[in-house]
Amino acid sequence: MDTAIRNTIRRLRFDHREMTQQELADRIGVTRQTVNAIELGKYSPSLEVAFRIAAVFRVPLDQVFQYDGDRTASEKKKV
Amino acid sequence: MTNQRSPMSFREKSAWISLVSLVVVFGTYFSYIGMVMAGLARNRFALFLVMVAVFIIAEVVLHLAIATQSPRDARTPKDEREQVIELKATRTAFYVLLVSAFGSIGTVHLRLSDPDDHLWLMMQAILFSIVFAEAVKFARQIVLYRRDA
Repeated sequence: MDTAIRNTIRRLRFDHREMTQQELADRIGVTRQTVNAIELGKYSPSLEVAFRIAAVFRVPLDQVFQYDGDRTASEKKKV
Repeated sequence: MTNQRSPMSFREKSAWISLVSLVVVFGTYFSYIGMVMAGLARNRFALFLVMVAVFIIAEVVLHLAIATQSPRDARTPKDEREQVIELKATRTAFYVLLVSAFGSIGTVHLRLSDPDDHLWLMMQAILFSIVFAEAVKFARQIVLYRRDA
């Protein structure tokens, strides 16, 4: 199930010399599969990992992650 | 940039190895136990010890094989997502163990010709409960890894 948190990691990786998922994973101390799961919105990282990702790209946290709770709530209403 | 489903991680391969080893080794063991119950074979406690030894050897050899393929992944400690997956799988396995352990207690109500058979049967049922719960744990881990959860 997708989380209510959107992210711009893929875009940011592209903007940072097409950084690979493995490179990012190594820098934040998780596996490449975890980076992939975060990118796809399948897994919400801990606050610490979120801050580490933002630090790698030298951007504020809200530029990496955006809460999309309204979308999730409306989707739930439809169901 | 890749955004496709990840190839199998070291932990997922590890879960597959444990699941397959468990099913093959203890599947063989419980098939034999079924034959004992049907009166087609004699009960041998040594078989249990042999099966445990085979299971341990299979686990070690196969894990060494995948660790050799990707030594860096093998050395890397579990990250937070992998720990969450393990916790979720363990929680599911706990409920399976709880139900099947109660089922094992129920074997005392079976009508057996020799009362000593109750103890033996309950021991086998408890062992089956443990093996089944472990198999469910590894299967749940694999499902969660496949879903990228």
